[in-house]
Amino acid sequence: MKSKKANMEMEQQIIYPKKKRKIKVFDVILILFFILFSFLILIPLWKVLVDSFDLHTAYGMKLVPKNFGIEGYRNVFTNPTLYRPLIISVVTTIAGTLLGLTLSTLGAYVLIQREMPGRSFFGNMLLFTMIFQGGMIPTYLVINSLGLTNTLWSVILMPGLNVYNLVLMRNFFEGIPHSLFESAEIDGCSPMGIFFKIVLPLSKAALAAIGLMFAVSYWNDYTNYKLYITDSLWYNFQMKLRSIIMGSDLPIPNGGATENTIKNAAIMVAILPFMFIYPFCQKYFVKGVNIGAVKE
Amino acid sequence: MFRQKKDKVPVSTRSLGKRIYYYRGFYLMFLPVLIFALIFYYAPMLGIRLSFYDYKGIKDPVFTGLKNFEKMFSMKGFWAAFKNTLEISIIKLLINTGAAVVISLLLNELIFLRFKKIAQTIIYLPHFMSWVVTASVFTLILSPTQEGLVNAFLTTLGFVEKGNEIYFLGLRNLWRPAYYVINIWKETGWGTIIFMATLSGINPELYEAASIDGADRWQRMKFITIPALMNTIITVLILNLAKVMNLFESVFVLQNHAVVRQSDVLATYIYTQTFNSGALPNYGYTTAVGLVRSLVGCALVLICNHISKRIRGRGIV
Repeated sequence: MKSKKANMEMEQQIIYPKKKRKIKVFDVILILFFILFSFLILIPLWKVLVDSFDLHTAYGMKLVPKNFGIEGYRNVFTNPTLYRPLIISVVTTIAGTLLGLTLSTLGAYVLIQREMPGRSFFGNMLLFTMIFQGGMIPTYLVINSLGLTNTLWSVILMPGLNVYNLVLMRNFFEGIPHSLFESAEIDGCSPMGIFFKIVLPLSKAALAAIGLMFAVSYWNDYTNYKLYITDSLWYNFQMKLRSIIMGSDLPIPNGGATENTIKNAAIMVAILPFMFIYPFCQKYFVKGVNIGAVKE
Repeated sequence: MFRQKKDKVPVSTRSLGKRIYYYRGFYLMFLPVLIFALIFYYAPMLGIRLSFYDYKGIKDPVFTGLKNFEKMFSMKGFWAAFKNTLEISIIKLLINTGAAVVISLLLNELIFLRFKKIAQTIIYLPHFMSWVVTASVFTLILSPTQEGLVNAFLTTLGFVEKGNEIYFLGLRNLWRPAYYVINIWKETGWGTIIFMATLSGINPELYEAASIDGADRWQRMKFITIPALMNTIITVLILNLAKVMNLFESVFVLQNHAVVRQSDVLATYIYTQTFNSGALPNYGYTTAVGLVRSLVGCALVLICNHISKRIRGRGIV
């Protein structure tokens, strides 16, 4: 309800000046500024896009491909040392996002049970991990002693519990009117039933927002792989991309593609999934920031 | 961010035993979360005791008291990393927040809605790129040859001679400015979201009233918009100040051997000392460095929490 009201306010505010203001010099300058600013943001990406389609080696200032070809991408998708990391990225992103959402919704649902004995202990126990951590090396040693290093379990399980996201989810759940739970309970609904039939269907927006946050962080994960995966067999695409760019692991280009073409094509492939879904999901991404920050 | 609803907890009429029985299903639901917290957060905390031991991963740990800390405090590399962590994080935080505020204020003044939406979509974009991708993109366009976009551009303008290109990420006095610029590129747009949300919450009647009173654009910004933003600016600064010690990946992927002194932060120092030192990793020593990092981080969170309670009336944790 609250967000609807905020939206209406926003619309009012945006529509309002339109009627009154005339376009002045300042407005034109502003527009020019934002065109320039957007241009500066886009140019590094544009450059990568252009070079990924260019089979020519000499690059530099050129902003359109000289010798257009898709060989770079063909190399990325047909070279097993390149598409295997891509598959690993996809698998860990899907598995990790599901795990992350499961843990955050379960934890958040338990933390809104006001009368549950031990609730505040559980809450504080989770919050404490945000204040103080064991640190990189002790965590590494724990994962190592569990035998998880050089398996995908380490990179799926380790980031699965994200206390920050769990708290965001809890904040969202707290907005659900308590009377809904009570009436469902009177109708004979079990706690699990309430969770699946009331809480989750009412939280689609939060699930989308937090799910996307998990998906981005799993897809972009580099730190955990760097720490726990030393065998290049289990590299994800970010790790592979890093070693390609550092020049230690360049695949042999074929079909007219140059090393540079492949490097740029690999960067594009690492970006593409989120470039595709981002325009459609922008509001959920934005929502994810806002449930955390401007709540109340 | 988190609010304890202590005042709202209803007084229960049921006995503790009955309540525990009633909530039995919930304990089961919390079990997975509990297991994850214990394994990935609390078990490593037990490992902190290693900072008082000598442990190389082969033989059993040997208790050495404070030797690791003595070694740490006598190491130049440690102090450089400590100083760099604070300097880089805080300057980055100030620059990024400042840029985000300015861009938000300007976005708010845009009168063409369509254009504003497109601009927002574009400037949010780099946030979704991983640091690896960002580093890769900038390594290529800042490359110190005619192949690098920036050097080629500067050559055309006549600032740089051919064969004498600037190695932005490899020069001691240029690494940090380059790092800050890359951060602005990546995070400014995303940082505006929270300010835009605050701006959209300002009552439009305030602007109307001000216009009737004859306030021009600049005066409306100065007396309505900026004061309304102040609270959010302080919140953002406090929340991020608490995370100052977390700096790792962005530095790790952008640094190189030539600029270690200027770029090394505590987390990268711990990583390289453990995994890239060439010798057997001295887990005891790097755990000790990690402990200092965690303690400083913890102190920062508590200080920020205190300030936050003073200023905003509620804490951050």
